[in-house]
Amino acid sequence: MLDVFLTPMSAAPSATRHKLFSPARIWALASNTLLELVRLKVFYFLLLFALLIIGSSAFVVKFSFQEQFQVLKDVALGAMSIFTWLLAVLSTALLLPKDIEERTLYTILAKPVPRCEYLLGKLLGVLTLLFLATSLMSFLFVGVLYYREQGAIASLGDMPPDEFAAAVAAVKASTFSPSLIQGIVFIYLKAALCASLTLLLSTFASTTIFTIMVSVVVYFIGHVQALARDYWLRDATVGPLTKIFLAFVSLVFPDLQLFNVVDDIAAGAALPMAIFLKTSALGVIYIAVYFLAGYFLFQNKEL
Amino acid sequence: MPTPAISIQNLTKVFPIPFRREKVVAVKDLSLNVEAGHVYGLLGPNGSGKSTTMKIVLGLVSPTAGKTEIFGRDSAEVESREDVGFLPESPYFYKFLTGEETLLFYGKLCGLRGAKLKERAKELLHLVGLESAAARRIGGYSKGMLQRIGLAQALVQEPRLLVLDEPTAGVDPAGSREIRDLILAFKQRGITVLLCSHLLSQVQEICDRIGILHEGRLVREGALADLISIDTQTEIVLENATPQFLDQLRAAAARGGAKIVEERKPQRTLERYFLEVTGGGE
Repeated sequence: MLDVFLTPMSAAPSATRHKLFSPARIWALASNTLLELVRLKVFYFLLLFALLIIGSSAFVVKFSFQEQFQVLKDVALGAMSIFTWLLAVLSTALLLPKDIEERTLYTILAKPVPRCEYLLGKLLGVLTLLFLATSLMSFLFVGVLYYREQGAIASLGDMPPDEFAAAVAAVKASTFSPSLIQGIVFIYLKAALCASLTLLLSTFASTTIFTIMVSVVVYFIGHVQALARDYWLRDATVGPLTKIFLAFVSLVFPDLQLFNVVDDIAAGAALPMAIFLKTSALGVIYIAVYFLAGYFLFQNKEL
Repeated sequence: MPTPAISIQNLTKVFPIPFRREKVVAVKDLSLNVEAGHVYGLLGPNGSGKSTTMKIVLGLVSPTAGKTEIFGRDSAEVESREDVGFLPESPYFYKFLTGEETLLFYGKLCGLRGAKLKERAKELLHLVGLESAAARRIGGYSKGMLQRIGLAQALVQEPRLLVLDEPTAGVDPAGSREIRDLILAFKQRGITVLLCSHLLSQVQEICDRIGILHEGRLVREGALADLISIDTQTEIVLENATPQFLDQLRAAAARGGAKIVEERKPQRTLERYFLEVTGGGE
């Protein structure tokens, strides 16, 4: 049994010299994280999503086609938003405490792997999973919407060509619009932001359940952060302690309400490109800031 | 003077207890060197500071004072881990990966790629006797199999230093002997081994030097043979000695002023007997 190992040293493969920042190493960690989550069968929730939108689609057949599409978009985008958030929080909260508890982290960090690469690999794995989940849900949603659209066009019946063309245009205008893609991008960014925030929490939380609980609380605070910010910046009547508290909430928690555009988009409202780009950039900044804060805590963590 | 594989200089580690003013001193002013190519046993009762020392050497914990180096490189630097393979006590790897996938994953972390990495994984699976379990998920592995795959991942990048924490914990006697033989083979290849174990008989068989920690302090350190030999006594093992010859020997000893302290039949070890009975020694 030892013969294999007792070959001359030169015959064995040699690892490349250590690089300070290695995309290949980060991708090895990210793809492993993705594989872990996929093998945990997290994609089963997609079945629930499919049932929900197909069910809601069948339920609204008696409404006018504009109402049908609005309800379908409302339900699908709302469900996508909740499912991606749940997926982001539950899958991220699992990663770090489990690695520490089962000591898998020791074997990884005992290799030439910087802690920032480990953390970045974990985050990229979750972000890839969220991207795949959002894409799959979007395809399913667009498929059902297209099917309903074709059904509505088929039901228009015999009309003069001019009226038929106008009716088809009206049906199409109430189904697909560019703002639908913007809404899906916001859903993804919001989930990615929550994943980054949950990763930050898991760097100092000792258990998965604590990380999930705090992450849920932060999610709800994130939806009233704008209110706290308004009071902090504009209301001069609040006392100094309240002001400090409001400043803390405004600076530490993300403004998740910014990404809540589902209702407007389902109603057919257009989202100006400038606002879309600014909000997207803010989402990316939030993700980066929470990741860096997580890295700072994890770098100094005693394992 | 050659660079030691591990150099520990005046190492102290203090853990504060949260919400209390007390502190726990895990390691106190520890200094030792592990020379390249040696098998070094770090011994001590539970809570003596062995694991903390190992974690500091591996850069997993930062020291309160002092310094540790691996082949001359500060162990706080990530680069120092290029030369280290680590097997923690009771290791748990990702249960969703198969044995082969586990080795490929750890190989990628060390910068190995492609066909060479696959070949290396195969070699290591053969080495630790897990070829038939290569496609099985780690979640279904026994404790002994986990130790073996742990040893294989520690070796994946051909390290010059192996840090093994209780490498035979939970392994059956035959597997335990294989691991011991592997450690001796590593030594032949010039690989340095830092071994933490409570199995003192095994440490005695394979270690060149030992250090004994107690309450965070190094209480004894040196070459094993020097530390445990009784200088005033000599052991002679005879084969086919007749009773008459033994009488002559006793008389000669008395004439020479020596005292026979003990006479007994040498015994094989229980491990060897077990292996003979179960066929594990073949």
